[in-house]
Amino acid sequence: MFLQLLANGLVTGSVIAIAAVGVSLVYGILRLVHFAYGDVMAFGAFVGFAFNVTLGLPILVAALLAMVATAGLSVGLEFALWRPLRRKRAGFMSLFLAAIGLALVLRQSLLLAAGPRPRSFDVDPYKVYVLGSVRLSGAQVITVVASATTIVLVALLLDRTTLGRTMRAMADDRALAAIAGIDTGRVVIVTWILTGSLAALAGILAGLVQSTFEPNFGFQLLLPVFAAVVLGGIGSAYGALAAGLMLGVAMELSTWEGLLGGVNPVYKPVVAFSALILALLVRPQGLFGRARTI
Amino acid sequence: MSAGAILEVRGVVRSFGGVRAVDGASFAVAPNSITSLIGPNGAGKSTLFNIISGFLRGEAGVVLLMGREIQHLAPHRIVGAGLVRTFQTARALSRLSVLDNVVLAAAGHPGERLSGVLLRRRAARECERDARERASELLRLVRLDRHAGDLAGTLSGGQRKLLDFARALMAEPRILLLDEPMAGVSPPLRAQLLEHILHQRDELGMTFLLVEHDLDVVMRASDRIVVMSAGAVIAEGTPGEIRGDQRVVDAYLGSRP
Amino acid sequence: MSAVTSGEFWAFVAVVAGIYTIFALGVQVQFGFSGLLNFGHVAFMAIGAYTMAIVTVKTGLGMWVGALLGVLAAAAAGVLLGLPTLRLRSDYFAIVTIAFGEIVRYVATNEDGLTGGSQGTINLAGSGEATQYNGSWERFQSWLGGALQIGSKDVLMLLVVWSAAIALLYACAALVRTPWGRVLKSIREDEDAAASLGKNVFVYKLQSLALGAALAGVAGCFYAWQFSFFSPADFQPLLTFFAWMIVILGGVGRIWAVPIGSVVFGVIFAGTRFFDFAPFSYLDSAERAYVRLILIGLVMIGLVLFRPQGLLGRREEMLLE
Repeated sequence: MFLQLLANGLVTGSVIAIAAVGVSLVYGILRLVHFAYGDVMAFGAFVGFAFNVTLGLPILVAALLAMVATAGLSVGLEFALWRPLRRKRAGFMSLFLAAIGLALVLRQSLLLAAGPRPRSFDVDPYKVYVLGSVRLSGAQVITVVASATTIVLVALLLDRTTLGRTMRAMADDRALAAIAGIDTGRVVIVTWILTGSLAALAGILAGLVQSTFEPNFGFQLLLPVFAAVVLGGIGSAYGALAAGLMLGVAMELSTWEGLLGGVNPVYKPVVAFSALILALLVRPQGLFGRARTI
Repeated sequence: MSAGAILEVRGVVRSFGGVRAVDGASFAVAPNSITSLIGPNGAGKSTLFNIISGFLRGEAGVVLLMGREIQHLAPHRIVGAGLVRTFQTARALSRLSVLDNVVLAAAGHPGERLSGVLLRRRAARECERDARERASELLRLVRLDRHAGDLAGTLSGGQRKLLDFARALMAEPRILLLDEPMAGVSPPLRAQLLEHILHQRDELGMTFLLVEHDLDVVMRASDRIVVMSAGAVIAEGTPGEIRGDQRVVDAYLGSRP
Repeated sequence: MSAVTSGEFWAFVAVVAGIYTIFALGVQVQFGFSGLLNFGHVAFMAIGAYTMAIVTVKTGLGMWVGALLGVLAAAAAGVLLGLPTLRLRSDYFAIVTIAFGEIVRYVATNEDGLTGGSQGTINLAGSGEATQYNGSWERFQSWLGGALQIGSKDVLMLLVVWSAAIALLYACAALVRTPWGRVLKSIREDEDAAASLGKNVFVYKLQSLALGAALAGVAGCFYAWQFSFFSPADFQPLLTFFAWMIVILGGVGRIWAVPIGSVVFGVIFAGTRFFDFAPFSYLDSAERAYVRLILIGLVMIGLVLFRPQGLLGRREEMLLE
């Protein structure tokens, strides 16, 4: 049972991790706490659904197309909303509130377009892979493989490519990066393309893992994701990744009977939040963040 | 070590990500004097100021205020113990009036506590009246009384420094730490500020510790000068002694380790 | 279209606006006057409402004691939340408050024995029994209606809620003008400057958080009385968003802008119900509800983009940052 929960935890954790990397990059490079990210994920999931179920395309193709569409949405929003706000020198609060407003608009638009009933992707629900005492569904295996690949690719991008280094430079010190001649405008667009795609992927994988999903599920996902970002240290993509995996595992393992009977599975998100609050009490800057100075 | 010193710093250490910003700094400040802390950029002066005033925790070392250890205290408690500081960039509260800025510094005001607002109305009113009188006096002293009703945000940079100074005095400190009081201030206002500082020391027995880059002011006003470089105190003495000290010249000319 | 002019309907809208005024006043005190980013505000409303209901139904203490305990419980929750979290940097604090809000909702949904679970207070007293706080409130309303010679329940409720709202607005306005309020304002503008003047920033923030929470608790009691029965689903994060929207709409930092913000908000919210013309006429009521919320979201974005000082604020005094 323990190993099964651990495996489930890694699956959940990898989805959280991918989304957390996206949120972290948006914060690091754009100084925006992207409160609408969960609903962007939901958008990606539903676009994926449209391609996969309504149009009958295989899940992989549908996912890629959804990633393109969501990247497009993100870039569109950059020009319609974020760039004008930055030009008005909007501060943290304005951006936060705009993101909250956007979240509302996105979610209600999804409800308007698709209705509130739950949907599922077109994957074989009976396919099971057995690894020792662990049973994984087809959806879970797809999720693990896709996440692992994505994580490796993103890590390579950030670490080995000029673009990645540029992004990290901007996240570290934007003014300095601009002075150093980096085309900040271009990096911003690339950031939105990347994080939009990650959001779509995370949304689809979450939809796969949960079996059913409806337009409100983005917000429920968002909180553990934020917890991972904060735990990992806001602005640290690697931190977000590690924290995402750990939180997923913690959430699943908390229900293990061996732990004094285990937590009621309904309270799993509460476990994530409690872990967040506890960690912040011990280490206010997060696991990988830098200590605050005056 | 130094009997009767108002402020004493012993072996304070603080690093940032592997770099030792303050590396075992030690010195003492005698009462009723002006001590200036000087040194090239990056010598650790501001960091030390932040540690002394409680805005930063040192990793090692002791800060004694009138014999009492304060290095673990929160900033507001250190103010209560008698040490008040100003900041490099004047932190005038722009959306409050100039007068309110100074009144805010009054200590022990019952109207500032929720319990006082509800239960000690008369005491609060009296204290407020007294505080406003005292604040007006201080504003008259620094010649900002004309602006008492204006929002502090409308003051110039130099005027804000004067406001900071008046505000700090309002808190009735035993020792006043001024972080680059002359920075960004026009020459006529500089002269005024210097005059106020000297007046406080001479007529009212106030003690000052300044961080200052304007060596002219430093040499003229200081009773003692403490020179820092690379996080440690490299020289200490009267202006005359410091002027001729080769170590100080080296530090400023950049032959740092 | 006759419903537009229906007095009953607009009285109802006014009651809800009154409840929201008290609720949003809490946010104004926390954010407008101390700069606290509390995005879990709805949790305090829930705690107020549930405590009142549980005390009334499960103990013999009666509804008024229940209401008092509800407000105190909300304030205590504010202190409990703030003690470990107020020293965090503000964006972390914001996220933690959201998590707090969700935790409260989860507990309310799942602790059936205590709160009646996901079905809400209908379940509190056991099957078939009407909840006592509901009955007590009805009795109070009849008594008041008789004393004031007013027949309509909605108008009566309107008077009660708005009397309370105005009293609380006055109280907060007075509080903010005190030296205590001055310290809060200084903390909002520059915490370090306030600390350097000897102010215990942490304690002031805690008091502000607790006061705002208490106001949300009051709003919670009124919510319970107005709607008779409620469940955890009534206290979603969306309500916190509405409170923030009202504060920003009116103007951050201005106490008397809050009722104006909530009335404008109420009109926008309720008014869209009456869009009987195309293309809205093609939508069913559930879909119109979605459109209404889309509009609200767009108004928020519009405010932030074009008028961050709100309807009553002045550009120079803009307190949004």
